[in-house]
Amino acid sequence: MDLTTLAAGLAMGLGGIGPGIGLGIGFSKAMEAIGRNPEASGTIFVPYILGLALTEAIGIYALVVSLIILFAS
Amino acid sequence: MVHVEIKAEELFAIGPLIVTNSMVGVLLASAVLLLAAWWFTRRSGVVPSRGQSLIELPIEFLAGVVRGTGGKRWRQFAPFVFAIFLYVLTANWLSLLPGVGTIGVMHGEGEHEILVPFVRAGAADLNFTLGLALISFVAFIAFGLRANGLRGYLKELLIAEPAYMTPLLTPIHLISELSRVISLSMRLFGNVFAGEVLLATMLALTTATIFILPLAFVVPGIFLGLELLFGLVQALVFALLSMTYITLAIAEHRQHGSDDHSGEAPEHGTAAANVSA
Repeated sequence: MDLTTLAAGLAMGLGGIGPGIGLGIGFSKAMEAIGRNPEASGTIFVPYILGLALTEAIGIYALVVSLIILFAS
Repeated sequence: MVHVEIKAEELFAIGPLIVTNSMVGVLLASAVLLLAAWWFTRRSGVVPSRGQSLIELPIEFLAGVVRGTGGKRWRQFAPFVFAIFLYVLTANWLSLLPGVGTIGVMHGEGEHEILVPFVRAGAADLNFTLGLALISFVAFIAFGLRANGLRGYLKELLIAEPAYMTPLLTPIHLISELSRVISLSMRLFGNVFAGEVLLATMLALTTATIFILPLAFVVPGIFLGLELLFGLVQALVFALLSMTYITLAIAEHRQHGSDDHSGEAPEHGTAAANVSA
């Protein structure tokens, strides 16, 4: 049984749970805020993109670890 | 299985300097930016021509964002933010041109023949993203030092908000500041490298599903569009995060008195400031 492939799969699979939930919550809050106050969408946009990138970065770290396991060891 | 390399492949060596294909990509992006800068400012005027107003559109949007989040001294670091944004954007979008990643030489023999492309996405090399992240790091430290002085900067860095919490909060604060380098570089690298792997895998579909021709050509096209969007978003995020770190570093802090608001970020900008790690 090839543990390397298993490790890579687990790294990305488990590492995608957190950012997925976080992005969903963040986006739903942003939509809620825009729904309450449609004129604020310009103000909401920039901090939302920032929050999106920061949350997604955790998933990207998991992806990088998985790729390193697959291709560099 | 598509062959991918995390390390950028070497092309040739000039003396002790080894030139990799990512370096070529980055230099190409620099050359395009310099050429565009020269071209669009050749006959610039207060009443802009068509090309000039086209270029001014994203710059104005970004300037609006920087002014909104940056506080009073936003003009000091706005050019830095624009430069980072344009550089990363050009490097990311140049990697989507046909020929990048596909035209190259074959290395190795027999079973282990691999294609070494002449040009590779600039940000798919950790050296480029790490270099930019270090530039951002030095920049926000420098702006903080210049705005608050050495003593002010060290005081802000080492002494936590309620002074008795210092032994607990200061190491966390220090490590979170140091980890900004890692997070900035890894985010950009991970996104662009994963995009490259994704595009390579999707393009490999063209050989696997050649009998369903639309699938073979439409699916990579969709992912190319996705990469276009992600390249733009990642460039924007890198620039905005650098701006946020600089704003945090130059912000005047509450204990300096409420009558001096020269460097303080305005209220609605602190939402972005609180978001950053």
